Amino acid sequence: MSAISTASSFIENAPPGELSEVIKDIESLLEHSPRGGFADAVAAYNKQQYVTTKLPGSSGLVIVSSYNEIEEGRFFDSESSTSFAFNHTTQKASDVQSYSIEGEHASTVKSLVQAVGNHVKEHFPSLPAHGVYPTDDGIAILIVGNKYSPSNYWNGRWRSTYIYNPSASTLTGTIAVDVHYYEDGNVRLVTEKAVSENLRSSTSAGIVTTIASVEKKYQEELNRAFGALSEGAFKSLRRQLPVTRQKMDWDKAAAYKLGQDIGGAGKSR
Amino acid sequence: MADPFDSALTPRWGRTYSDLLRRLNPKHITKNLNALIGLVPDLTEDLLSSVDQPLQIARCKKSGRDYLLCDYNRDGDSYRSPWSNEFDPPLSDGTLPSEKIRKIEVLANEAFDIYRELYYEGGVSSVYFWNLDDGFAGVVLLKKSTTATSKNTGSWDSIHVFEAIDRGRTAHYKLTSTVILNMENTTDAIGTMDLSGNMTRQVESDLSVVDDNSHISNIGRLVEDMELKMRNLLQEVYFGKAKDVVNDLRSVTNLTDVNRDRAAHSHVMSSMLTR
Repeated sequence: MSAISTASSFIENAPPGELSEVIKDIESLLEHSPRGGFADAVAAYNKQQYVTTKLPGSSGLVIVSSYNEIEEGRFFDSESSTSFAFNHTTQKASDVQSYSIEGEHASTVKSLVQAVGNHVKEHFPSLPAHGVYPTDDGIAILIVGNKYSPSNYWNGRWRSTYIYNPSASTLTGTIAVDVHYYEDGNVRLVTEKAVSENLRSSTSAGIVTTIASVEKKYQEELNRAFGALSEGAFKSLRRQLPVTRQKMDWDKAAAYKLGQDIGGAGKSR
Repeated sequence: MADPFDSALTPRWGRTYSDLLRRLNPKHITKNLNALIGLVPDLTEDLLSSVDQPLQIARCKKSGRDYLLCDYNRDGDSYRSPWSNEFDPPLSDGTLPSEKIRKIEVLANEAFDIYRELYYEGGVSSVYFWNLDDGFAGVVLLKKSTTATSKNTGSWDSIHVFEAIDRGRTAHYKLTSTVILNMENTTDAIGTMDLSGNMTRQVESDLSVVDDNSHISNIGRLVEDMELKMRNLLQEVYFGKAKDVVNDLRSVTNLTDVNRDRAAHSHVMSSMLTR
């Protein structure tokens, strides 16, 4: 594996909100090798993770993804009808220009942006962003929510990706959650759930109702799954105490060797 | 070019690679470790001896019993079985513990085999000791995996590295424990859910030593208490903290309702206080 492809695989692995730390570590390890060769990996990461940025003079966050990339390093935002240059290394936007969406889906995109925005306001309390973009086979709807708490050693990201297909009246995509906890350790939650729904109503409101119900159901299932893992796999890996509910009698274990009846501390006392 | 043997480089690199490995997905620790070694070959020995990875299982040819492989029972490409004290593939000059330390090692292996059955009801355990100038050191390993037939699977690896420094009638014990816990839940309703990671804790203690058996009891209790503590900690982080963060990212309840309830609650509180 070349140094660049190794560095790229590390970047692909970077937890939410920790890309710059991972890059710093890689640059420090590669001090004597050519630098910057992993710019492509950084760009790919930003687009895949729906990294958000503020447009100059604006307070809301806009998404960077492959769905709204016009040309390399330039993206558009449907809500403000603008395009902007994006520096993948600094994650800063600049050179805002007006940009209008054309084609058959233009009006649907406009009304979906508003409807999805209302849904996001109701359910994503932390650093939310959303985007609605025309694609070859329909309209892409992206939602991202981030919560960064590096002083408490944890960060998290929720990403929803839906493709609305107007001719089939379907909504397909994925919901993905990524949580990192790293105080005296390194714990990572990575989930992904495929979404495939037949729409009952193809109005913007109907589409958002389906999104809201799919996400709610998933979040409730995920909450239950924590309990299932805790009561299932976790319990069967290691007991909290032996069946006897007493700790092991180590003096006995040391005194009598070779597995006599020592199990069950103190039970023969 | 930097001199690869310049020892001043190692601490800085050490901080860098441990920071990196604390950020990359712990599920892929072995893959990431090998990639890191490929990137900075000078770090090979440092990395292999300081980074904990899920333990591999081998079968002792002599006793037929399973044992665990780690850097502490490795010599070149061979691993020493705690049951036979022999290396596989065989080594004529493999590093062995002294006769006295091996005797305690044998007892420790039997004791932790009982411990394993009590707490893990399955799995594999191995204990390896080695001599120090002023005492001895060792590692207690425990591994358990749940059957892969279930959709709700997991594996637990405990790696307890300790030093026991002689101080006459007492010994000073220093224990560094890492638990690697990987779990996966795959269903139609949930898709894939992967909850993986590792946590490390340290403890030091001076305990009395009457005879060699005292070491077994002392190390045994230290490890048992540490595992109880770590199991509680893992439970809290994996099923409490991670779940809380998910629900911080997205609110099941409409935020308008949440805020209205909050406002109503604070209104009630303030009217009670001013009554």
